[in-house]
Amino acid sequence: MADITSRRDFLKQVSGAALAAGAAPSMLAWALPLQGQAVDVPGEDGMILRSFRFVDLESPVEYFNTWLTPVPHFFVRNHMHEPSELSAEDWRLTVGGEVEKSLTLTLAELSKLETHSVVNTLECAGNGRSLHRPQVPGIQWGKGGVSTARFSGPRLRDVLQRAALKSAGKHVMFRGLDEVPGKVPPFIRSIPIEKALDSDTLIATHMNGAPLTKHHGFPARALVPGWVGAASCKWLTEIKVLETEFAGNFMNPGYRFPNQPGKPGEPVKPEDTHPLTSLNVKSVISGPSDGGSVKAGALHVHGAAWAGEADIVKVEVSTDDGATWNPAKLGHEQAHYAWRLWSFDWKGKAGDYSVQSRATDSQGRTQPQTAVWNPSGYLYNAIDQVKIHVA
Amino acid sequence: MLPSIKKFLGRLPMRALAVLALAIMASFWAHAQKPTPAKATEDLPPGAMQAKATTSCLECHEARIILQQRLSKAAWTKEVDKMVKWGAVVDANDRDALIDYLSTNFNPDQLQYQAPRTSTEKGSAGKISK
Repeated sequence: MADITSRRDFLKQVSGAALAAGAAPSMLAWALPLQGQAVDVPGEDGMILRSFRFVDLESPVEYFNTWLTPVPHFFVRNHMHEPSELSAEDWRLTVGGEVEKSLTLTLAELSKLETHSVVNTLECAGNGRSLHRPQVPGIQWGKGGVSTARFSGPRLRDVLQRAALKSAGKHVMFRGLDEVPGKVPPFIRSIPIEKALDSDTLIATHMNGAPLTKHHGFPARALVPGWVGAASCKWLTEIKVLETEFAGNFMNPGYRFPNQPGKPGEPVKPEDTHPLTSLNVKSVISGPSDGGSVKAGALHVHGAAWAGEADIVKVEVSTDDGATWNPAKLGHEQAHYAWRLWSFDWKGKAGDYSVQSRATDSQGRTQPQTAVWNPSGYLYNAIDQVKIHVA
Repeated sequence: MLPSIKKFLGRLPMRALAVLALAIMASFWAHAQKPTPAKATEDLPPGAMQAKATTSCLECHEARIILQQRLSKAAWTKEVDKMVKWGAVVDANDRDALIDYLSTNFNPDQLQYQAPRTSTEKGSAGKISK
């Protein structure tokens, strides 16, 4: 693309009449859509900017076309400021609490442990929050607070075993290096010991074969596969084994779900809630785009489906507003905690359509017509829908 | 087309017209290719409480976290009280006015906030080593 200098030089060479063309950019300013505007966030590519501080970036659904999400397209969720200083040399991970032998590990020491890889679909618990009615406070995620990557690093259980777990230890707490503003409670959460000792729960140092980037928790993060993203603490610096669940804001009242669906908009008593763990069954249509217009004829509907700790067994597509459903073809790439890409080929005649997708998992769960409303807008998983015009 | 412009163009030789057309196309192309940079951080809307809300909220947050909310007055009241508990500096005399300002500007009747995108750089998505 011509830069400004060469464009100026070019304009100098043309006649006085042609110089009038210099007015074109200002004339165009009103005609060009705002979508041309973009904010520079180094390392991130074409993401939806939900918040610049703290950094919260959503993947546009059209990025859901590769099984593994490239890191610059992977959603970013931060509760606080990212650590201002991170050094691979100075970083330490401490392991304490209900263990016989407290540990302090350097990154070099952690890297010497056996590495394990898990392809995991990570989804923010609040993904889809903007679609709940009535609306609830929080990051107003659309459909793209979810991405998939191959995470690698030592197993958490190998580290816990080196520290010699005591039998009293029932929960494992993670603390990250996030910088806490004001009197905000620190972002500390815990997971039950059974999940901590699962062979797929990691202290991840790599993502898609490269060291974690800062936005994704460099140099190490917890990776709790199949669970809401909040379980996978970034910039991990402390692991503490506890007798009971960690008592802090981000365990209670944060990140909890009603035991029973209530009336939308009605408050839920804290004692009638439980901590969020595994993700729901869910599918999203990545194309055609919602509100788009496509040519009549052979149409390709595609998307991704995931189910936390369960496996996707079926995705169905409706092209008639949910009256009839057709099986979609599932992509061949699969892993226990990873999404399945899916597609459905359809011959569309001219008209307006509501195209919908619904997934069913190995636990027999199917996406509902309406997601369970809850005061924090977690786990939105209603049948997905795009409206398209076929011409 | 205005008669004066038509007259002016009519007097130009064909070569100058071609150059003019090319220049307009090049200019359009260059402009369309280069996205106008959006502001990294946004401002809160005008109003009696704009300055105070900026001081109280944007100390920690960027304005977009507020611009994207569509909440009832009751929900804004809860949020403001939570943030005060977490360290937001709000004079007790300003609490009600701040809640009014937020619920007037960001309520469920407002259209959804259109978030901008981050810049796109060719090839920045990188390769995935499996």
